[in-house]
Amino acid sequence: MKLTRIIERLNLRVCTAEHRLDREVQNGYVSDLLSDVLANCQENDVWITLQVHPNIVAVAAIKGVAAVILVNDRQPQEETLAKARQENLPILVSSLSAFDLAGKLYAILNEPSGAQ
Amino acid sequence: MLDEIVRLLDARLIGRTTRLEKRVRMACGSDLMSDVLAFIKADALLLTGLTHVQVVRTAEMADVAVICFVRGKQPAADVVELADSALIPLLVTDLTMYEACGRLYSQGLPGCHEKR
Amino acid sequence: MKKDDSISRLDAVAHTDKCALGKPDSPRFTKSQELVYELTVADAMRRKVITTTPRTLMSELREILRANRISGTPVIDNGRLAGVISIEDFIMWLAAGEPDCPIGDKMTTRIDTLFAHEPLIHAVGKLEETGYGRIPVVDKASGDLVGIITKGDIIERLLRKLEIDFHTEEIHRYRASHIFEDIMGDKVALTFQSAVKGQDFSLAGSASSRLKKTLERLGIDPQIVRRAAIASYEAEMNLVIYTDGGTVTASVQPDRIRIDVNDAGPGIPDIEQAMQPGFSTASEWVREMGFGAGMGLVNIRKCSDRMELVSTVGKGTHLRIHIDIHADKSKG
Repeated sequence: MKLTRIIERLNLRVCTAEHRLDREVQNGYVSDLLSDVLANCQENDVWITLQVHPNIVAVAAIKGVAAVILVNDRQPQEETLAKARQENLPILVSSLSAFDLAGKLYAILNEPSGAQ
Repeated sequence: MLDEIVRLLDARLIGRTTRLEKRVRMACGSDLMSDVLAFIKADALLLTGLTHVQVVRTAEMADVAVICFVRGKQPAADVVELADSALIPLLVTDLTMYEACGRLYSQGLPGCHEKR
Repeated sequence: MKKDDSISRLDAVAHTDKCALGKPDSPRFTKSQELVYELTVADAMRRKVITTTPRTLMSELREILRANRISGTPVIDNGRLAGVISIEDFIMWLAAGEPDCPIGDKMTTRIDTLFAHEPLIHAVGKLEETGYGRIPVVDKASGDLVGIITKGDIIERLLRKLEIDFHTEEIHRYRASHIFEDIMGDKVALTFQSAVKGQDFSLAGSASSRLKKTLERLGIDPQIVRRAAIASYEAEMNLVIYTDGGTVTASVQPDRIRIDVNDAGPGIPDIEQAMQPGFSTASEWVREMGFGAGMGLVNIRKCSDRMELVSTVGKGTHLRIHIDIHADKSKG
């Protein structure tokens, strides 16, 4: 599913890289541990996390994720936003909890293709 | 309810507590203990990739009903021991956090919402 | 055990004038001193004794002591006097945060006893020398428990015999049950303190865990216990993460819990900044442990009714957490 569609269906707020939202997303990855994301996250995943500090940008860039979604309405730090703009990394925000967001994302990504 | 969760997540029970008296009312997926403490309500299922002792301490403080470790992470013996003495059941699933949340959510288990 | 004046006079007689036993008519004796030789243990003891069994649980002891307004009980096993359990034993078990267990595990088994027919002066001496709050009285022949005697009982009996008008308060001062009431009442706070080792993640949380268990055993409302436990835990984690260690001191009164957290650590340069959600000075390894997301102080504030945070860079930090307990919410 295209990232733009996901943003629409999940009511996400876009903070950075508004021009880079046309990627195709297959899967989500939920983790707050950088070491774990570095080890296991796949390219083009959307990374769902609570972490708001600048290191998430570096990790996201290295792994080539499609976007980072912050949950519980977390505000990314200024430095994080600045770095994200530099890297052209979309940072999105949801007011849902990680569990709920992952749940919804899982449901829509696993819908039979007609319903997208 | 514990058996349902075990079945749904293809999980295995480790540790000595194999029964759950209370109903699990909601789930929370996080690796950040402070955030767990901020948002989790009592009688929740905590999904996490973090396997050290503080996870059990956090669960104890917040009256978490059951802990499930994702990504096949096995906690060390001291963690299991602490959970046993706190009478908290421990599960391990090979699913990713994303997949686990997805499955539980699709079965109607709600997430923990922060009161606004 | 605190000595009180009338008992001091009596035991001055008991200890220094042992040779005066049986010679109460010497001019040095006061009326009350005479009486103490004249009366027997049986005259002053209580015959209706509240007892427990070795199988009664420590958690049940609290209610037994409270409901009967006593400070301890003899422990009876199959009709035989097996030991004595006191409120001091209860408090030590509480403060150590040990799991619930039968009284049999905690009771004193080397029991001092008195015989009913003994002169009351013996009871005075025995209470002073052992420091116990109560002594079981047994029948000499059968060894059966026939009564129990405390300092308060002795004084009450003497005063009644002397027909002195007394203030209820005077008597009540020496009733051992008042000690329990003082603790659960509004005069004295139950205080316990734990040291927290800095940088030791395996131990971190143990102080808060003990606090939580103690609060649960005191029958405090579970929601309040939860808030206190979470606030304490977050504070404890801050000590472990950012300092070389400190102390967590909890002070419990019936209407409020106060938790003081102190360290001699680096101090917080900008407290307002530190209180913002998400602000953190934690290093990466701390984040990998699941902490350092900048929610600790925020959580503490959320859990508390009032919070004071004072810090000096280079000297240390003092955090004080207040949680109000609403009247009569404690479980029986």
